[in-house]
Amino acid sequence: MAKRRILVVDDEVGFTRLLKMNLEKTGAYEVMVENRSSKAVTAAKLFHPEAILLDIVMPEIDGGDVAARMQEDPRLKDIPIIMLTALVDSNELSPGAVAQSGALCVLAKPINLELLLQVLENNLGTKEEVVSED
Amino acid sequence: MNEGDAIEIAGLVAGRSPDGLMTEVIDNLPVAVFCKNASDNFRFVIWNKLQEQITGVPRSEALGKTDYDLFPLDAANQFRSIDQHVLETQRVMDIPEEQVDAHEHGKIWVHTVKTPFQDPGGDRFLLGISEDISERKHLNQRLTDTHAQLVETQLQLIQAEKMESVGRLAAGVAHEVKNPLALLLMGVEYLDSGIDPEDENLPVILEEMREAINRADKIIRGLVDFSSQRQLSLDNLDLRSVIGNALMLVRHEMTRNSIEVETDIPDDLPGVMIDQAKFEQVLVNLMINATHAMKDAKRPKLLIRGTQAVAEVSPDEGSRTAVHIRGGDPIVYMDLIDNGCGIEDEKLAKVFDPFFTTKPTGVGTGLGLSVVRKIIELHKGRIEICNQSEGGVRVRIWLRTAPKTDAH
Repeated sequence: MAKRRILVVDDEVGFTRLLKMNLEKTGAYEVMVENRSSKAVTAAKLFHPEAILLDIVMPEIDGGDVAARMQEDPRLKDIPIIMLTALVDSNELSPGAVAQSGALCVLAKPINLELLLQVLENNLGTKEEVVSED
Repeated sequence: MNEGDAIEIAGLVAGRSPDGLMTEVIDNLPVAVFCKNASDNFRFVIWNKLQEQITGVPRSEALGKTDYDLFPLDAANQFRSIDQHVLETQRVMDIPEEQVDAHEHGKIWVHTVKTPFQDPGGDRFLLGISEDISERKHLNQRLTDTHAQLVETQLQLIQAEKMESVGRLAAGVAHEVKNPLALLLMGVEYLDSGIDPEDENLPVILEEMREAINRADKIIRGLVDFSSQRQLSLDNLDLRSVIGNALMLVRHEMTRNSIEVETDIPDDLPGVMIDQAKFEQVLVNLMINATHAMKDAKRPKLLIRGTQAVAEVSPDEGSRTAVHIRGGDPIVYMDLIDNGCGIEDEKLAKVFDPFFTTKPTGVGTGLGLSVVRKIIELHKGRIEICNQSEGGVRVRIWLRTAPKTDAH
């Protein structure tokens, strides 16, 4: 089975390196890391990911804006986005704002790897299907 | 003075005896007047209307009597010693404040001026003029108290403001701490999936590390939840897990103060509808208070108990609003019992007031219990704090049990 392609956009270099190692170690994923949020859209166009893990608080452009730019691009708008945040918990973000950003869900850092793998497995299908489950 | 006035005054005097007029003048003076005959054992010879009012002793009872007949021994001794001093020095004496037992009027404060004089017959007298300054003194005292209170409140406000800054800071710090925690956890996850099966210590070490990361995360989360104000988000929760979380946040404090913690929550205690973060805040506040109260206890111990019951609220209290606990409601009540120093009775009524604190500056903000009560009220529950006869304090919180659903 072909590996699923995941783009990780997060300015924390050490974290993304280890996240990539963990995901690739499962044998199910091929991961590209982009540590500069301003290059996230370009990276997505080049890499054609099937899912994007997107940090929220980043210098340059924050995750919300990155998601909005992806939404505007017809080639990227259907790629499921999973937000990662070191904001205390998902309650910090209004559900409206999350939905508006086009993100499927928000996972709080420190990320539970098991949960992340579960979410990826569940969400690499169609976006609508998952939203209606919520 | 014109001629007409002179005639009128002459007529007034002419119509009455000068002695009679003088008595009325003295009687109607807007100050209390008394006079003692020092040559006749300091017996009262003048006692005007205002003196009657101030002391509560009618003139008929006072004239011919001495201070020892009218006032308690201590007071009479004091009056007599001043009188003698005035007579010896032959000088007017101003007594800015002295307390007089005014019988049914209670104790009053007066300002008195005592003047010695001698009549043509050689008898020596002591004339006293007093005004009641109780009201003024009372107002002064209130002013002083209010000022002291103001100063204290100001200090507490400054402290509260500091705490708020800490809260704001906490959110920023949390973000910075969570990123390295996320990295550590990823590292642990990676190592965990490829460890040497020969080394049985490695899984234990990795599990310990994972636990440590989670604990650090929970503490930082607790700190921020603590400072954030949110709407209540109610869930049907088990009190045990909420108590467990709260205990984890104060574990360090408890261990440091060698406080033994005992929890007694029955397995079948029904769930309650609570906002987890807010309720944890309640418990943490109460636990920290207990810790401070048990500072000098020999064997500090905190008992946390949960009990299922039926509310016994008086009908009046219960019917105030439809949503608060009413008599007959199924409830759960939780006790936090410490064996600390207790709370002085007169302070017990004020413990929920904002900015009221029994702790020194820097230890308490005086906001803890007012926040606690507010949160409990938001939950439509009740809270009561009382001293225990055997020492220490019991805090009891009543909550209605969560409505039963099919899932339970």
